[in-house]
Amino acid sequence: MSDQQLNNLIKMIDQIIANNLHQGNDDKVTDVAADHLHKFWARSMKQQVIAYAHESPAELSALAQSTIAKLEAVPE
Amino acid sequence: MLHYYDPSVQRYQPGKNDLNPDFDYGTPASLSEELVSISVDGRQITVPEGTSVLRASALAGINIPKLCASDNLEAFGSCRLCAVEIEGRRGYPASCTTPVAEGMSVTTQTGKLAKLRRNIMELYISDHPLDCLTCPANGNCELQDVAGTVGLREVRYGFEGENHLDAEIDDSNPYFSFDPSKCIVCSRCVRACDEVQGTFALTIEGRGFDSKVAASQNDPFMDSECVSCGACVQACPTTSLMEKSVIDAGQPEHSVVTTCAYCGVGCSFKAEMKGDQLIRMVPYKGGEANHGHSCVKGRFAFGYATHDDRIREPMIRDSINDPWKVVSWDEALEFSAKKLKGIQAEYGRESIGGITSSRCTNEETYLVQKLVRAAFGNNNTDTCARVCHSPTGYGLKTTLGESAGTQTFDSVMKADTIMVIGANPTDAHPVFGSLMRKRLRQGAKLIVIDPRRIDVLNTPHGGEGIHLPLRPGTNVAIVNALAHVVVTEGLEDQSFINSRCDTDAYNTWRTFIAEERNSPEAMEEVTGVPASKVREAARVYAEAGNGAIYYGLGVTEHSQGSTMVMGIANLALATGNIGKEGGGVNPLRGQNNVQGSCDMGSFPHELPGYQHVNDPAVRARFQSVWGVPIDDEPGLRIPNMFDAAIAGTFKALYVQGEDIAQSDPNTHHVEAALKSLDCLIVQDIFLNETAKYAHVLLPGSTFLEKNGTFTNAERRINRVRKVMEPIAGMEDWQVTMALSNALGYPMHYDHPSEIMDEIALLTPTFTGVNYDKLERLGSIQWPCNDNNPDGTPTMHEVDFPIGKGRFAVTEYLATEERASRRFPLLLTTGRILSQYNVGAQTRRTSNSDWHEEDVLELHPSDAELRGVKDGDWLGISSRVGHTVLRAKLSTRMLPGVVYTTFHHPGSGANVITTDNSDWATNCPEYKVTAVQVEVVTQPSDWQRNFVDFDKRQQALLKPAMDKQEENHAPAHK
Repeated sequence: MSDQQLNNLIKMIDQIIANNLHQGNDDKVTDVAADHLHKFWARSMKQQVIAYAHESPAELSALAQSTIAKLEAVPE
Repeated sequence: MLHYYDPSVQRYQPGKNDLNPDFDYGTPASLSEELVSISVDGRQITVPEGTSVLRASALAGINIPKLCASDNLEAFGSCRLCAVEIEGRRGYPASCTTPVAEGMSVTTQTGKLAKLRRNIMELYISDHPLDCLTCPANGNCELQDVAGTVGLREVRYGFEGENHLDAEIDDSNPYFSFDPSKCIVCSRCVRACDEVQGTFALTIEGRGFDSKVAASQNDPFMDSECVSCGACVQACPTTSLMEKSVIDAGQPEHSVVTTCAYCGVGCSFKAEMKGDQLIRMVPYKGGEANHGHSCVKGRFAFGYATHDDRIREPMIRDSINDPWKVVSWDEALEFSAKKLKGIQAEYGRESIGGITSSRCTNEETYLVQKLVRAAFGNNNTDTCARVCHSPTGYGLKTTLGESAGTQTFDSVMKADTIMVIGANPTDAHPVFGSLMRKRLRQGAKLIVIDPRRIDVLNTPHGGEGIHLPLRPGTNVAIVNALAHVVVTEGLEDQSFINSRCDTDAYNTWRTFIAEERNSPEAMEEVTGVPASKVREAARVYAEAGNGAIYYGLGVTEHSQGSTMVMGIANLALATGNIGKEGGGVNPLRGQNNVQGSCDMGSFPHELPGYQHVNDPAVRARFQSVWGVPIDDEPGLRIPNMFDAAIAGTFKALYVQGEDIAQSDPNTHHVEAALKSLDCLIVQDIFLNETAKYAHVLLPGSTFLEKNGTFTNAERRINRVRKVMEPIAGMEDWQVTMALSNALGYPMHYDHPSEIMDEIALLTPTFTGVNYDKLERLGSIQWPCNDNNPDGTPTMHEVDFPIGKGRFAVTEYLATEERASRRFPLLLTTGRILSQYNVGAQTRRTSNSDWHEEDVLELHPSDAELRGVKDGDWLGISSRVGHTVLRAKLSTRMLPGVVYTTFHHPGSGANVITTDNSDWATNCPEYKVTAVQVEVVTQPSDWQRNFVDFDKRQQALLKPAMDKQEENHAPAHK
């Protein structure tokens, strides 16, 4: 995984969250964002952000962390 | 031509559209529902009120001679050959300008009429060259036919008097010539230019004997306003306006109806042939998308199919620094399969993928995604729709439940207000642009939302259009402002909303949109558009009766592309403009089969018919037919593939008919990704920019060389029919099939119709589609299934696939790509009429006579600030790259906005576009790039490298091209 690849993935998550802030509360926002990642992201992309969230959670916004946690919790 | 009348056959039934598209009925059909019965030469015929006597007679099987009349033009009444006698009326009225009346009794043949017609023809022929045997129109000349029909035997006036026989030929247009000596001044060309094309480039100059057809101010055609659509050539009853290909080769001897492979209008053409040689493409009147009209691309720009640059044999190489080696199909496929398998063995199942083409057929696209999902065993399939209309798929599916436009093209003729957002129909969808202009001339109102002043705003006699010249990147702000006006001024269609839309979603949206921050006044600072103009536009759209929205890539190619599509759907739902003719939400698709490639499951998360891969029931159906498990996780999208390639986890790519190196944004990034691949397989008709990074080159086939179907922007599935053999022996679907077989996943189809049968089996919206039905109906608009066995012209008439229409909250967020002190201008990109997409086809035709290079259009005030003059070389720098283009000063743009096209690879337009993208789909933000421009004296580093790399790659190709030249008989030359 390259830094550029990771930066792009984080940028994409932040963009998805930003475009769904209108959902109301943080829980709804991250539900929608996690569902979006679940539906549209490739397995490898999901694995990369999940791994990164475990390694360096401080580099992610709180909403991004919460989104990734929900993505990880989605049953296979 | 002699037509036999059989009284036992009911030739015409009002309301039943079974007319012969190859026959000219003289005047257009009347749309009246009132019926009128008349007698023509004793035969009874019932026709709609308003029908001309000429047309009624033709429908009754009686052909009255005519020269100035044609059924795609309003009656003109100038040649008088169609004169008839009508009981109870005096004289000899022209049947073309005389409408039927109840009980009318018409006689078409009497001695007096015969004499009258002969006298008219005598006058025509007295000023016409008698060179029929050597005339290019010989055998296909209406003048010649009518002379025969009326029995012309002599010209009593002689040929010595004053005449036009020495008039000079205008050969300036590369595709057709104008020979005034053959002109009979019937005005059909002038009227076709006005009524069909809507350009008004032609006129009749002078009076009486001096009357002559003139282009613009009596200019050569090439220097005039003529857009070379071919409508005048089509209309000409002599050889005055004639294709040069026919002048050179003679009249064609057979024809095949097929579908154009340029834009998403999907025009039907008759490919007129001599043996396997294509002589000309003639727009087919039976085509439901174009009704016999065409543009300069589809009509004339087909020469690329036989260009010397065509790849005619498979080629391979181990490294992109090696020369290409011509090999057999078997060797190339074996080489490819071995590489792909080896890479998967080393890097894993997900390390390879494929890109389908929006230029190839539905059947070919279906096979490529099937190859990826079934033979590669992953979902790493994507299509060039990723970089154009993927937000349409997301946005329309979310709000309306189906990833497609809602109307037929003809629906625009019932629109009262036409809103065009981020599209340029006269250039990018010219035949539909002409239809739109026709409706505007009839009085429909026009709203254009675009940073540029596009040509449709200049429609002659079309009335004043409302132009909202917004700042690039502020689409959502303006669509919200429009909706705000609709909601707060009581312009909603409450009955439609209550009965057809989800109440909770509507209430949430309504609360949001009514907030003052979405008002035109609040958004004025963001969009740059005066609030009063926005309010006026909202009222004109909402109060129209029928309001139709047409949009293009100026909507989708933004960081909020999907949001904007949803905003458009909101607007249409709020005003009840869904589910009826004259309204709707209409994405204008850029390439011929963008709709089809999306329908066929090209996206990594969706199987054909937009069925998600994580749905177990869906997968089960596909698995039962395909016989292999299907991954339940989406695959990589194109930009994700690039990132993964650079990261070293994605190692091989199969690309069919798509030039990602030229068309995708941030060229440096794309080139780095392509160089990172261990195996790039390109299937294309030329060595395109992507192929220069390839290890396997598989010869592609043009649309003329294969069978299949395309689906146009109105969901219309049209047949593509083979008119010549594929240049390398295999159609594209056969190549994919062979690659699959080489990989060990068996595919066996004998004809694309069998592939369509499989598509129908697995795709709920296609269950009723098959080739027999396509032959019977001509074309089918999906959904076509048990509920709609003949297809669905207008979507969502009763309900939505998701039950109720769903309003979506569309919060405006400014793009991160903002103008700054360092990059103070905003660049936006687009297309030009004569060129198509990356230009691989049109650059290899005479269309380049109109557009030899991409230029940078900038406002004179921006030019003055920087000391730029028209024609200067300009360095254009963005945050990601730098390129050089010639300056063209233009007031089409707002100050602060610059514009270019991307038709020439050496321009490097995408060297400066960034990899910012739509939040939902990753569709690139081509339409907003912050740049600075300055006068320079030399090409950019990238451009110099491009030239060097191109030279090196051409040199590596040359021995292989020489070899294939030796191997191949010049079959298509």
